[in-house]
Amino acid sequence: MISAETLIYLFMALAGIGSTVSVYYAVIEKDLIKAVIYSAIQSTFYALLYFLLMAPDIVLVYLPVAVGLIPGVLILLISKTERVEQDEESV
Amino acid sequence: MINPEFLNTYLLSIVIFSLLLNTALALYGIFYKPHYIKKVICLTILSDTANTFAIYIGYRRWLNDGTINPRPPVLPTTEVSPGVLSQFLARAVDPLPQALVLTAVVIGLAVTVFLIFLGHQLYLHYGTLDMRRIRKLKG
Repeated sequence: MISAETLIYLFMALAGIGSTVSVYYAVIEKDLIKAVIYSAIQSTFYALLYFLLMAPDIVLVYLPVAVGLIPGVLILLISKTERVEQDEESV
Repeated sequence: MINPEFLNTYLLSIVIFSLLLNTALALYGIFYKPHYIKKVICLTILSDTANTFAIYIGYRRWLNDGTINPRPPVLPTTEVSPGVLSQFLARAVDPLPQALVLTAVVIGLAVTVFLIFLGHQLYLHYGTLDMRRIRKLKG
């Protein structure tokens, strides 16, 4: 039987792996809207990590700022400029 | 049967390794990705990872029962009793790193909004946000 402490460490490890996967997709993605959404997913995993690391008042500030406000203004900028990152040969 | 102490340390080292990997990926994005918005996204990821490191090392007391790798404590219960509360107060993240990270998150938001308005002005001036094209448009 798995203990509760091990279960918490398991959730922390899963949040770390999930954040790394979403950072990788955010870096290699050509469509900038999708990159912003992957970055928001990474922020959600970090918020879970803060909560499990016994710092719950960081979550209260970090969650609306990093999941709501920063992707919001980035999507506003993308809607006013260009959406797709160009390849090397088309420049 | 796996030793639970070894399993906990192993799972925690996965977290540290993924944070280091995130730092490397964000630095790669800042330096080698040519688009301005991608650079801003990678900068926010880098600052978030630095904040997570600050929270990670900010514990008041680490569990170190003679082993090589000390681990931060977790509360494996949801029951609120005076014993659990005093354990939380003795071992949770120190208020000073928490206040630093709180300030860093808000200042990071302000810097990101400034960079976004800078990018809008860049687009109005040059007509593109690709750094390779802007480099060619001299004068």
